[in-house]
Amino acid sequence: MINTIILSGVTFVYFGAFVCYLFQMIFRKDLWGRGAFYITLAGLAAHSLGLLLRWRESYALSIGHVPLANFYESLIFFAWSVVLLFVMVEGRSKYRSLGVFVLPVPFLLMAFASLAPNVDSRIQPLVPALQSNWLTSHVLTCFMGYAAFTVAFAAGVMYFLRRYPRLRFLPADEILDELIYRHAALGFIFLTIGIVTGSVWAHYAWGSYWSWDPKETWSLITWLIYAVMLHARYVRGWRGNRMAVMAVIGFAAVLFTYLGVNYLPGLHTYLQS
Amino acid sequence: MALSVAGTFIPQQEVSLDFTQGLSPGLAYFLQTMQIFDLFHSVWFFLLMLLLFLNLVVCSINRWPLSWKKFRSDPIAAADDEGLFRELPENRVLWTSREMEEVSKKMEMLLRRKFRRVVKAASGSDRVILSGERGRYSRFAVYVVHLSVLILILGALIGAFWGWEGYVNIGEGEKADNVDLQGGRGTMPLPFAIRCDRFVVEFYDNGAPKTYRSDLTILRDDEAIYQGPLLVNHPISLEGLRIYQASYGLSPDIRASLTLSRGGEPPQKFSLGEGENFELPGGEGIVQLVSLEENLMQMGPAAKLLMRSGGKAKPFWVFQHIDRIREMNPGITEQVPMLNPARFHPYVFSLNGLEERYYTGLQVRRDPGAPLAGVAAVLMILGLAGTFFTSHRRVWIMVQRGGEKTKVGFASRSNKHPAVLQREVRRLMEQLRADMETEST
Repeated sequence: MINTIILSGVTFVYFGAFVCYLFQMIFRKDLWGRGAFYITLAGLAAHSLGLLLRWRESYALSIGHVPLANFYESLIFFAWSVVLLFVMVEGRSKYRSLGVFVLPVPFLLMAFASLAPNVDSRIQPLVPALQSNWLTSHVLTCFMGYAAFTVAFAAGVMYFLRRYPRLRFLPADEILDELIYRHAALGFIFLTIGIVTGSVWAHYAWGSYWSWDPKETWSLITWLIYAVMLHARYVRGWRGNRMAVMAVIGFAAVLFTYLGVNYLPGLHTYLQS
Repeated sequence: MALSVAGTFIPQQEVSLDFTQGLSPGLAYFLQTMQIFDLFHSVWFFLLMLLLFLNLVVCSINRWPLSWKKFRSDPIAAADDEGLFRELPENRVLWTSREMEEVSKKMEMLLRRKFRRVVKAASGSDRVILSGERGRYSRFAVYVVHLSVLILILGALIGAFWGWEGYVNIGEGEKADNVDLQGGRGTMPLPFAIRCDRFVVEFYDNGAPKTYRSDLTILRDDEAIYQGPLLVNHPISLEGLRIYQASYGLSPDIRASLTLSRGGEPPQKFSLGEGENFELPGGEGIVQLVSLEENLMQMGPAAKLLMRSGGKAKPFWVFQHIDRIREMNPGITEQVPMLNPARFHPYVFSLNGLEERYYTGLQVRRDPGAPLAGVAAVLMILGLAGTFFTSHRRVWIMVQRGGEKTKVGFASRSNKHPAVLQREVRRLMEQLRADMETEST
C-alpha cells in the first residue's frame, strides 16, 4: 500500500529535520534552522498526502472511513498533529531550538508505527461501535490536545536544560514559561472538548456518557493534572520551574492515557488490534 | 484522584469476581465491604465528589467579591486608587507641543477604535484622564467553568440516585417487559414490552463484525407503539428510557422448521421446539418433536418425531437432505420405515432445516441526570474559551498641561496576558507619535 510506504518515508524526513535543528543549535547558523524548517514542512506535506491517500484507499476497498480508526492510524495522526502545531509555533516565533525537543516525539511515533511488529498497518473496516460521526471529532480534538501538551512538555524540558550554564542560549525563561502555559491551556481546552465529544459518543454507543473505563478515568486524571497546573498559575502565581515540572508530569499522564491504558481491561480496546 | 487511579488498576465489578477467587476469603470480604471493587460507585467516592463540590463553592464565593469589584470599578477612580500616574516609567511618557484639548480628543478617538467602553474625565483644569476598557465580562468566565463542574456533579448524583441500567436478552420472536439491573440489584419492570422480531449480524470479509441489528417492536397492552431497527450507536429513545444494542448470542434451544404436505393441498409449515407438538390437519393424530440432531450418522440435520394416533406412538426420523440420502442408498426409505417421510399416508413430512435463533442483548437505561451533564459540557467549553481567550484589558491615558508642552502618560492593566496589552499600548504611542510631533523625555 502506497500510503504506508510514504508514511514510513516521512519518518526519516522528520529525523533529518531533527538533525538539522540540532546542527542549528550547535553551530548557531540560521541556515541550518531555516533548512530544518523547510524539511519539516516538506515532511508535513508528505505526511498529509499519505493520510489522504490512505483515506482514499479505504474507499477503494469499499470500507471507507477517516484514517483515525486503529492503533497505526492513531500513531500517524498523533505525529501529524504534533508536527502541524510545531510548524505553526516555529513559523511564527522562530524558536528553532524547539525543533530539537519537539521533533523526536513525532519521529518516534512514526518509527513505532512503521516498525513495531504488533502494529498492524492494514486498513481495517469499522466495527459497529466505531461507525459514528463522533469518531472524527473525538479523535481529532483529543490528538490536538495531546499535540499541544507535547509542545508544553518540550518547552518544559528546555526550561530544565537551561539551568546548565552551557545551554543558556536556549530561549529565555519567560519565553519558555509562556510557551508552557499557552500550550498547556490550549491542550486543556482541546482535551476538554475531546472528553465531551467522547462522552456524547458514549451516550449513544455505550449507554452512558461516563463508564469509568480506564481510558476515560485516565483522561480525567490528565485533565485534573492540567487543571491543577493552570489553577496554580492563576491563584498561586506558579511560574517557571513548577510549571515545567507540571508540564512533564502532565505529559507522562497523557502518554499513559494514550498507551499504558491499552494494557488495562476496558471498553477502548479498538486500539489493541 | 488517587482513588480513580486505583480504580483503573484494581479490577472492578464483574471482572473482580475472577480476581477475588485468588484471595483469602477474609481479605476478599474486607475489600468487598470497603467497596474496593466498585470504587466509582462507592460511598466514599460520593463523599469525595461532595467534597469537591463544596470546595468549588467555597473557593468561588471567596473570590467573587474581588471579581465583582474589578467588574464594577469606576476606571477613573481606579487610576487614582492604584496611583497609576504617580510613578510612570519613562518609556510610557510622551511630550508634544500640541494643545491639551487637541491631544485628548485625538487620544479619545484612537481609544474608541480599540476599546468598547471609553470614559473621559477632567481632573482639575490642567489634566484629562481617558480610560479604555474591554472584556469586563471575562472576569466571570472562570465562574462559568466552576458552575459547569457543579452542574456536572449534580447531574452525576441525580443519575446515580434516580437512574438505573438494566440488561435483558430477548430471543427472536420473544418479548420481555422487565430487565435485570446491573450488579445483581434485582429486576426493573418496563412501562412497555419489547419484542425482538429479528436479529441480524453481518460480517466483513476479514471476519470483523459489520452490523448488529435488532428489529424491535415495542408494545403496550399488546399494541405496537414503536417499530424499527435498533443499531449500535443509534439507541431508541422512548418515554425517558434509552434502549441500546449491547450484545447478542445464539439461543440454546434449536427449532425445527417442518413442512407437511398432503396430496394436492398446499403444504403447511410448522416450527417446533423439542417437546412441542401439533395436531394433524385431518385429526388423525398428534405429532411431537422428540429431538433434533445437527448431523445424524453423517447424513445431515434430522428431526425425531413421534406420531401418537389411536393409543399408539410411532417414532420416525425426518432428514433435511432426504433426496441425497435416497440417491446414495437406493430403496432405503422402503426398507427402513423409520426413515420414511411418507410413512403416514397421505402425509409427507420434510425438514426444511434447523432454525438457529439469535437472541439480542439489550441495555435499557434511564438517566435523568444526562441533560444536566449536557448543559454542563456546553457551559464548560464556553467558560474555558472565555477564561483562556479573553481578558479584562484596561488602558489609561493622562493628558496634562505642562508649561509650553503637553505631557501624555500611558498605563495599562490586564488580568491575563499583560504582555499582549503592553504591545497594544506601544502601538497607541506610535500612532500618537506619527500624528503629532512628539518627543520622549
